[in-house]
Amino acid sequence: MADSGPVTTAGVIAVGNLQARIDGQLSRATGGRLTVGERAELVELLALRGHVLGCVADAERAAALADDLIGQVPGDARSFVARARTRGAFHRFGPALTDLDTAAALGGDRAALDAERAAIYQALGRYGEALAIRQRAVDRHADFSALAALAGVHGERGEMDEAERRFSAATRSYQGTSPFPVAILEFQLGQLWMEHGNLRRARAWCDAAVRRLPAYVPAQGHLAEIDAALGQTAAAIARLRPLASASDDPDYATQLARILGNTGQTEEAMTWRGKAEARYDELLARHQEAFADHAAEFWLTIGGDPERALWLARQNLSLRQTPRARALVRRSSGHPPG
Amino acid sequence: MSDHNNSPRGVAEPAIDIGDAYVFPSPSRPGQLVLVMTVFPNAQPGALFSDAARYQFRIRPVTIPASGPGSRFEVGTDEYNITCTFAAPVTTDGAGNFAQEGTCTLPNGATVSFRVNDEHGGEAPGARVFAGLRMDPLFNDSTGYVETLATRQLAFQENGTNGADGWDILGIVVELDVATMLGRAPGTLFAVAAETVTAGKFPVRLDRFGRAFVKGQMLGELGADTVNRDLDLRELWNQEDPFQLAPNYLGAYRARLNANLAVMDGIDGKTDWPLQPDGTHPLTELYLGDYQVVDVAKPYTEDSYLEIELALLQDRAHATCGGRSLNDDAGDTNLTFVITGGNGPRISDGVDQATVRASDSFPYLAPPNPSPAVAGRILAPSKVADQLAFLQQAGLASR
Repeated sequence: MADSGPVTTAGVIAVGNLQARIDGQLSRATGGRLTVGERAELVELLALRGHVLGCVADAERAAALADDLIGQVPGDARSFVARARTRGAFHRFGPALTDLDTAAALGGDRAALDAERAAIYQALGRYGEALAIRQRAVDRHADFSALAALAGVHGERGEMDEAERRFSAATRSYQGTSPFPVAILEFQLGQLWMEHGNLRRARAWCDAAVRRLPAYVPAQGHLAEIDAALGQTAAAIARLRPLASASDDPDYATQLARILGNTGQTEEAMTWRGKAEARYDELLARHQEAFADHAAEFWLTIGGDPERALWLARQNLSLRQTPRARALVRRSSGHPPG
Repeated sequence: MSDHNNSPRGVAEPAIDIGDAYVFPSPSRPGQLVLVMTVFPNAQPGALFSDAARYQFRIRPVTIPASGPGSRFEVGTDEYNITCTFAAPVTTDGAGNFAQEGTCTLPNGATVSFRVNDEHGGEAPGARVFAGLRMDPLFNDSTGYVETLATRQLAFQENGTNGADGWDILGIVVELDVATMLGRAPGTLFAVAAETVTAGKFPVRLDRFGRAFVKGQMLGELGADTVNRDLDLRELWNQEDPFQLAPNYLGAYRARLNANLAVMDGIDGKTDWPLQPDGTHPLTELYLGDYQVVDVAKPYTEDSYLEIELALLQDRAHATCGGRSLNDDAGDTNLTFVITGGNGPRISDGVDQATVRASDSFPYLAPPNPSPAVAGRILAPSKVADQLAFLQQAGLASR
């Protein structure tokens, strides 16, 4: 079960510092004064903020900067690593792997590229290959990031005891004060437990992530989902309203609309449903691969278009053969979860 | 830069990244010793200290068992530590502004509470403490400095460009009454190091600082170390106890310093620090003990950085308080010390003072620049040749 873990800087300080770093880098970027490393770092920072604050616009900006970087510095491996990450984030896994091959040809660090490759294999459901790379990294140097990554693969494979053991080893080996890596790790474990149906453990880990980083939108969203699953709908609604208002990720509006609909608050539910639908239409037009699964969930439930849901779920499955993608197709086909 | 952006963890978490440390007798209050640590290089308004770290000044008495080339100080085992911690910030208004409280534990066990950015700081018998955003007191021509090391030729101009011009930084200033806080020590010479460590049950050292320009330049990859050509030593160095290096990497540090110091000595075309018979550079042992040495019985002198060290090596009694004052041109002193050994004219980087000079009175550090310059926060390369390209690409290069 989640203990308090390593002591890290208060989330409000860390998020404030992250914002200040991004603002500073962006203002220098406007003047064209960033080094290749700084531009690659800015891509990372924007992607981090996008993940933590549930901001799709940040992720899009990171992807655009990574594209620019390739144009500006095509001979530097760091440019291709940066773009591989943003492509991976938008589920463009094939092109991301191609970028990593190019980075390798340009002399990029082999161990670092292997780690990037493992993350993509994991997203694709190629767990055996991901596990081999992650295990090699731990054998070489069992530090926080290597152990955390290995834990993630075990979790995806359903080996939750092993995942917990590796997660604990990772947090014990953490030697920094930044809350981001630890909170992300705690959230991942919560997410995995949720997928494995253990809501008590899922809540403990998501709670830990939110205690560490109160502004962590995806962790808040999962806590709302847990609340709803446990019948605590008022708590779930209270948690989701600010997320749905602030985040440009329609997932929160979808969840809120669904719960409101289930509790008879039809008018407000329809408002959020409309917002989510409009936003999914926008995002699918630009990033179909990335939003196919969540959009399928939307049309399967509050969206009320099971045919479109099935089509999107199949698109998602064609991209990655993960248990989650298969389950989504089954549910969209009207079959009970397998 | 002095020690700005020289640690991967510091770049990831700037609030624990030490920029510099300073130790000097108060110019305005005789009998008071001032300790300053700066963290969070290039901080912007609103920057705060980490509540997950301890900010420490570690003070130990030192003696001089023997002087002459190759000598080093003997550091005692008693410690007179000052530890500052900070609470998580709290909102003070509806506009998203935060206030942060801090506490400083003094060598006698007493504590001082203060609010970050309160100009008056906090006070207890025998001590005053300030913490908050100020102007960075560092000044040097960082490009010329790096170019000098990379090309192995003096590369300064008459009017250099301060690489930290207009920067803000978070500063911790502790003013101690020497008699109250250090009076039971056997002598008047003290070694002082600054460090940041994690606040958990098993503290991990995150960053440390003793003398200026040690980590990035003297331990940097100049291309002269034939033992470990490509080893970035900075993070290993950061984790070491400043008063007791572990044996694991001692050989690596020693080899790097021996090689780099010899190269630096030759920059002016002559050898001022002849190697000892076993090939050891006479400054290596001195720099392995990475702390500032201050004589609390001597009055304030603005330009006394490394004077006690030079006296030790020249087998004479020191004349000043040593340490490092906020307005001391430590960059010039450092290069002159290492390159000329005091046997030639003073080397100047063409930058003689900070954007705004530090004050003679508490809290000493100049008020923050309301519109601070913005610079990137990325790990400075360990390879000195790459540092030059880094500064040029980052727009920090002055030429």
